Amino acid sequence: MAEKQKLIEIKNLKQHFNVGHGQVIKAVDGITFDIYKGETLGLVGESGCGKSTTGRTIIGLYQATSGEVLLNGVSVHGKKSPKELKMLKRKMQMIFQDPYASLNPRMTVADIIAEGIDIHGLAKTKEERMKRVYELLETVGLNREHANRYPHEFSGGQRQRIGIARALAVEPEFIIADEPISALDVSIQAQVVNLMKRLQREKGLTYLFIAHDLSMVKYISDRIGVMYFGKMVELAEAEELYRNPIHPYTKALLSAIPLPDPETERVRRRAIYDPSQHQYKDGESLEFREITPGHFVLCSEEEYKKYKAMHS
Amino acid sequence: MQQIPKEMFQPAAAELGEAEKISRPSLSYWKDVAIRFRKNKLAMFGLVLLVLLVFMAIFGPHMTKYDYATNDLMNTNQPPSSKHWFGTDDLGRDVFARTWYGARISLFIGLAAALIDLLIGVLWGGISGLRGGRTDEVMMRIADILWAVPYLLLVIILMVVLGQGLGTMILAMTITGWINMARIVRGQVLQLKSQEYVLASQTLGASTSRIMFKHLIPNAMGPILVTLTLSIPSAIFTEAFLSYLGLGVPQPLASWGTMASDGVQAMQYYPWRLFFPATFICLTIFAFNVVGDGLRDALDPRLRK
Ligand SMILES: Nc1ncnc2c1ncn2[C@@H]1O[C@H](COP(=O)(O)OP(=O)(O)O)[C@@H](O)[C@H]1O
Ligand SMILES: [Mg+2]
Repeated sequence: MAEKQKLIEIKNLKQHFNVGHGQVIKAVDGITFDIYKGETLGLVGESGCGKSTTGRTIIGLYQATSGEVLLNGVSVHGKKSPKELKMLKRKMQMIFQDPYASLNPRMTVADIIAEGIDIHGLAKTKEERMKRVYELLETVGLNREHANRYPHEFSGGQRQRIGIARALAVEPEFIIADEPISALDVSIQAQVVNLMKRLQREKGLTYLFIAHDLSMVKYISDRIGVMYFGKMVELAEAEELYRNPIHPYTKALLSAIPLPDPETERVRRRAIYDPSQHQYKDGESLEFREITPGHFVLCSEEEYKKYKAMHS
Repeated sequence: MQQIPKEMFQPAAAELGEAEKISRPSLSYWKDVAIRFRKNKLAMFGLVLLVLLVFMAIFGPHMTKYDYATNDLMNTNQPPSSKHWFGTDDLGRDVFARTWYGARISLFIGLAAALIDLLIGVLWGGISGLRGGRTDEVMMRIADILWAVPYLLLVIILMVVLGQGLGTMILAMTITGWINMARIVRGQVLQLKSQEYVLASQTLGASTSRIMFKHLIPNAMGPILVTLTLSIPSAIFTEAFLSYLGLGVPQPLASWGTMASDGVQAMQYYPWRLFFPATFICLTIFAFNVVGDGLRDALDPRLRK
């Protein structure tokens, strides 16, 4: 455990959207966590809790309201020379949720995949560029005949593979996958997850894997973070989170997973999370505290003592 | 409900190899566009018409020995004949020569309108939409102010300063003619810029101009072409209309508008003087419209069958 190297450090990151009329949406409201080299960190939470915004702020699509993101110890936001910025862009890439909206319908698959190669000047000749495109197509399980086609000729799963190939073209270290499988058929989901796992093994990639429910993340994640309304409420190793969920919201999420066995599924009870159940008093400060080693929960001082007593 | 025993369930084998095949042959984007355009009969007809119009605008005036501006008072108001193919007008000028001379003016105006739309309108709207925030607000307020200036009034004011003519009309168009295009493109860009493929391009480190020319404008091409096919014929018609009112190109220059205006007065006795310019105004506008529609459909690979 100790030799784990931090690739990404996120420190008190906030993203507040000004939506006019003096109203502010606190989409991400002060989250802190690290992502270790070579791991997959799952990020779950219901729709609208700020998962996409977290991913997009980390990668710099949105200007963070406050907080810091470090990649290999270097801040990725703030003033940078264009050259440094380009280097950083190559290291972080994103795979998107909607396989229909994430590929430009007017470009051929070759041009889509080669976009990063073109931007960063990674191929010197046309032949070299096409060679890279063919390699990437084969890496993601498509074939070279697909290079001159348009996105609309492909199925959702194939499009998602094209999106993965596009991200891989610049040889990133870290990939944010924003619900990459939630728009796909269940039968295709496993194929894409397996592809991502294989690529992780072969290329030593680090993933932030965003999902809106806990059922699939378990199979791909080493650790899982649970988000609720812009805050991270629990973070632990995947196994630990499933076996010993502490925060009531995590328990509610876990209870929402359908069970494969119809016998047990019939008696499954869904827990409902009601934030008022904490009965926090005014002035009580909520902090992200370590209950057992590597298992963090957002809680008050009082709850911390209670959880600590229950789980050790 | 009928119970199916567990043993009857079997895992389905995934057939990867088969699923990844597509049968249609692959083509380059523009070849594909051309094929789809050619399948559209009406659009092809419009294109042929436009090519003929351009050809006649270039060579038409030289096909007859008569000049568009030379009076022949011995041969006024002649009906179409083997000598004067489209007849003559009240000053004995050859209507055939004048019609094709007028085509030059109309097509030139159309071309100017298209260039103004594309160079000013598309860029203005594109930058405004993509930059957003303050830049967007300032650029759109400027457009709103210019929009409020009536074209007719502008032409008349500019005429006082610069005199009557084609240049004045084009200058007036440069000032106000691109606003509609700018608004349409801005709307498109606002909609397109949050698409995930644009975000993907940004995370890859694409420059603003790359995002604009590779992603935004190609995907806004449909509405851009529709707007163009409306604004080209509308510019041609506006020129004809202004000339008809006597505010267009000065005599003895021939424009379809001035010819129609003169022709209307003699419509009952010498109908060919109205018939030829009016017919060609209609044909030109029709041709631009159907070609624009055809192009819009052909440019969209999703409509490929
Ligand atoms: N660009 C934006 N401007 C304003 N509000 C936004 C923007 N993006 C997201 N939001 C708001 O932030 C919240 C979190 O959104 P999002 O990160 O997309 O959630 P998730 O991905 O978890 O479903 C939502 O309430 C959403 O409406
Ligand atoms: Mg989302």
